[in-house]
Amino acid sequence: MELSVSQHGDVCVVGVRGSVDGSTAMQLQDTVAAQLTGSAARMVVDCAELEYTSSAGLRALLAGVKECRRQGGDLRLAAVSGGVRRVLDLSGFTGILRIYSDVDAAVSSYAS
Amino acid sequence: MTKRKVALVIGAGSVKCAAAIGLARVLARERVDIDLIVGCSAGSIFAALMAMGGTSDEVAAIAARLWTRELTSTRDTRAMLSIVLPKLLGFGEHFGMRSDRRVRAALADAFGDTRIEALPTRLLITATDFRTGEQAVFERGRVVDAIRASIAIPFVFTPAEVDGRLCIDGFLSDPLPVGPAVRDGADVIIAMGFESNYQERIDTPGRFAFQLSSIVTNNLLRSRYAFHSVAHHGEVIAIVPEFRERIGLFDTARIPYIIEEGERATEAMLPHLMRMIDSPATHAGEA
Repeated sequence: MELSVSQHGDVCVVGVRGSVDGSTAMQLQDTVAAQLTGSAARMVVDCAELEYTSSAGLRALLAGVKECRRQGGDLRLAAVSGGVRRVLDLSGFTGILRIYSDVDAAVSSYAS
Repeated sequence: MTKRKVALVIGAGSVKCAAAIGLARVLARERVDIDLIVGCSAGSIFAALMAMGGTSDEVAAIAARLWTRELTSTRDTRAMLSIVLPKLLGFGEHFGMRSDRRVRAALADAFGDTRIEALPTRLLITATDFRTGEQAVFERGRVVDAIRASIAIPFVFTPAEVDGRLCIDGFLSDPLPVGPAVRDGADVIIAMGFESNYQERIDTPGRFAFQLSSIVTNNLLRSRYAFHSVAHHGEVIAIVPEFRERIGLFDTARIPYIIEEGERATEAMLPHLMRMIDSPATHAGEA
């Protein structure tokens, strides 16, 4: 798994490439947590190159969402497709997360 | 490196559970050892056959002989009349509109007196306690008794008495019973589940009942899977085959196609699956 972090105004975008599972989920969780320090908790996780997430990845995402919302912000997903979408549907995460077609749509959603 | 304990969970799904044969084929080819198999409803039949050590071809052949429409072909006329005349004929918790004589004979033919605890691979079979709604988990006793309880389809077969508990179909407590594998200490849980078909048309009371059952089952599948995903320290890998063709409850003629879809769905997950099985037993990502 590879992670990238970029700032779009006051929104932090974390790009995830590859697969999130038990061996990599903590890295994702730590990266999201690190971006929250001293800034508005507005996050987007870009899933365009995310191939798969196991239950460990779901737990990392959930931890990030809870922390962002606790700080008055949110964690939103962009470009979710294929098997990742299926796992999110099956686990009911699509009912509690805001999901957008691409990063631009997810970032601009914070303006509305 | 500590070997990770791998569990295979086969959820409820009538003949669609044959997709687990495709899953088992892929795992055997990759030399993945399964330490525990959990089966629910029709999934319990495939789980038991696999736990006995049957090859995928043997499991497919036995399942095709066992899971047929004839299982439900003998009506229990008195039970059916008791729906409209409950006071006259008596109505109670042992209600079922079909005789279970054929299903008991078919199970006895396939499993004889084999006991769960004597199988070469550890097996757990789940059913639902009819009186309390709790999940019942069988880890010992006769295979046929546990399966009969697990496949006690509501309204069709009577609930079954096992070890003093009156049990009904396992799907009613959890259509994809990951919980028993978690309790058993599995590190990697491969969970093959099945979504229930919605009716194309509703023109009989039976179809109306099946539609209600599908709605409840699919929602229960999601909520239980969500709970286990976030609560379990290890890995839960869901494999949910997608069937392009509609599969009926007893569509045994489609078993080869169903196995193919099981293989296809497993192949799609294989790189991720193997990485999890081969990685050290760390529990990163705990929330």
